[in-house]
Amino acid sequence: MSREEGVKFPLSEAFSFSLESIKRRFGRALVTMASIVLGISFLTFLLTTGRIVSVLYGEGSGVAVQFYQLWMAVIALLICSVGIVNSMLMSVTERYKEIGTMKCLGAMNTHVLEIFLIEALLLGLIGGGIGAVAGWTIATVWQAFTQASPVNIFMVSASLWTEFNTSNPLLLLANPLIGIALSVVIALLAALAPAYIAAKLSPTEALRYEV
Amino acid sequence: MSLRYEYAVETEDLAKYYVMGPVTVRALDGVSVKIRRSEYLSIMGPSGSGKTTFFNMVGGLDRPTRGKVFIDEVDIASLDAYELAWLRAKKIGYIFQTFNLIPVLTAMENVTLPMVFTGVEREERLRRAREMLTRVGLGERLDHKPGELSGGQQQRVAIARALVNDPVIVLADEPTGNLDLHTGLEIINLLKTLNTEKKVTIINATHDLKMIDVSDRIFWLRDGKIERIETRAEVAVKEVE
Ligand SMILES: Nc1ncnc2c1ncn2[C@@H]1O[C@H](COP(=O)(O)OP(=O)(O)OP(=O)(O)O)[C@@H](O)[C@H]1O
Ligand SMILES: [Mg+2]
Repeated sequence: MSREEGVKFPLSEAFSFSLESIKRRFGRALVTMASIVLGISFLTFLLTTGRIVSVLYGEGSGVAVQFYQLWMAVIALLICSVGIVNSMLMSVTERYKEIGTMKCLGAMNTHVLEIFLIEALLLGLIGGGIGAVAGWTIATVWQAFTQASPVNIFMVSASLWTEFNTSNPLLLLANPLIGIALSVVIALLAALAPAYIAAKLSPTEALRYEV
Repeated sequence: MSLRYEYAVETEDLAKYYVMGPVTVRALDGVSVKIRRSEYLSIMGPSGSGKTTFFNMVGGLDRPTRGKVFIDEVDIASLDAYELAWLRAKKIGYIFQTFNLIPVLTAMENVTLPMVFTGVEREERLRRAREMLTRVGLGERLDHKPGELSGGQQQRVAIARALVNDPVIVLADEPTGNLDLHTGLEIINLLKTLNTEKKVTIINATHDLKMIDVSDRIFWLRDGKIERIETRAEVAVKEVE
């Protein structure tokens, strides 16, 4: 058998397969994304609040607040990771039969792994994106209301504007971006173990599995 | 399709043992057979006689404890992962009792999937899937998902999927096991027609005695061993007696 005869599964095919799979199992995707959205929005909320507070009251106060908030954020992330790991595990195991079938049709271990990792990447990006935007918006609006003196609001917007114009526009987006990056990393890590185990099953083992 | 090889499948002393604590189950225990190209073969035997195990070994879905399987005269134990995937994608079509379609994909998408792995062009994939589904009588159901199809229709999709890459062998494990008498007969006849038309070797593991009428030969399996091999004529004679 020559190499031209080998099976193919280009990244573009894997990507569209994963995307379709998420779209058509939207309920399942929502469950997985819910824990991501919650965890990441909480994290972004805390980080953004810390940022605004430090703009209002000076860097010193911000550090103290941020240290305490970082601690809360870590706990939040741990809890959200457990949720993500759990739903990733579920969504992989309930598809063992599909994996076995795919292998009968010519899928190799790496192809199966690819499909699940791309799905995790997409869920992480979408869930993280929603969570980050939500967290950032809630934090900003919340601060605007509770700290609502015209001076404060002016200071926050002025400082955000300065950051945007002078130093680095990305600084403004730093907290949401941290949230999204973390979300992708956690989702990928959570999917890696179950996907790897599933990918290595022989077709008969995967097919025998009943949920 | 080339007809270089006389035998599509050969097994040599094929055995599969399952060790479960103190007990060793000899699911398959020294089966040596030769299956000709374009033959329609049924493997019959009581429950637990090793039919599914034989299906798995010949299909390259599981490794035997002992013995060899040759597909087109190639020992499949000598294939690397890449070549084994190609064997499953291109040379063998699988049909299962439980259909095993991908539930979120439409009939068309299920049938195109094996062609993704063999690298068929997108347009060509769609054309061939549509043609094959029409051939099995589902031309009107292209965009239905498995959940929206009856058992018989799902099995037709599975048959289209198994045949769309023009395999050398179609392996079926109780393809009529989940179907009623009438639908089962339709599926048997469809398989027989495709066998004649496409000259594809069909190997059926089955309890279904209706299958005897269309089979060229029948392997009777018992306790993991071939008990006897009969041609259709021999079975028919016996029925008359
Ligand atoms: N994964 C496994 N682990 C342990 N034993 C197994 C396994 N698979 C099959 N067996 C045993 O091997 C024997 C043959 O099983 P097989 O599934 O091949 O029978 P079969 O002829 O297909 O039966 P049926 O008609 O009920 O489908 C049985 O005794 C079964 O219990
Ligand atoms: Mg069986």
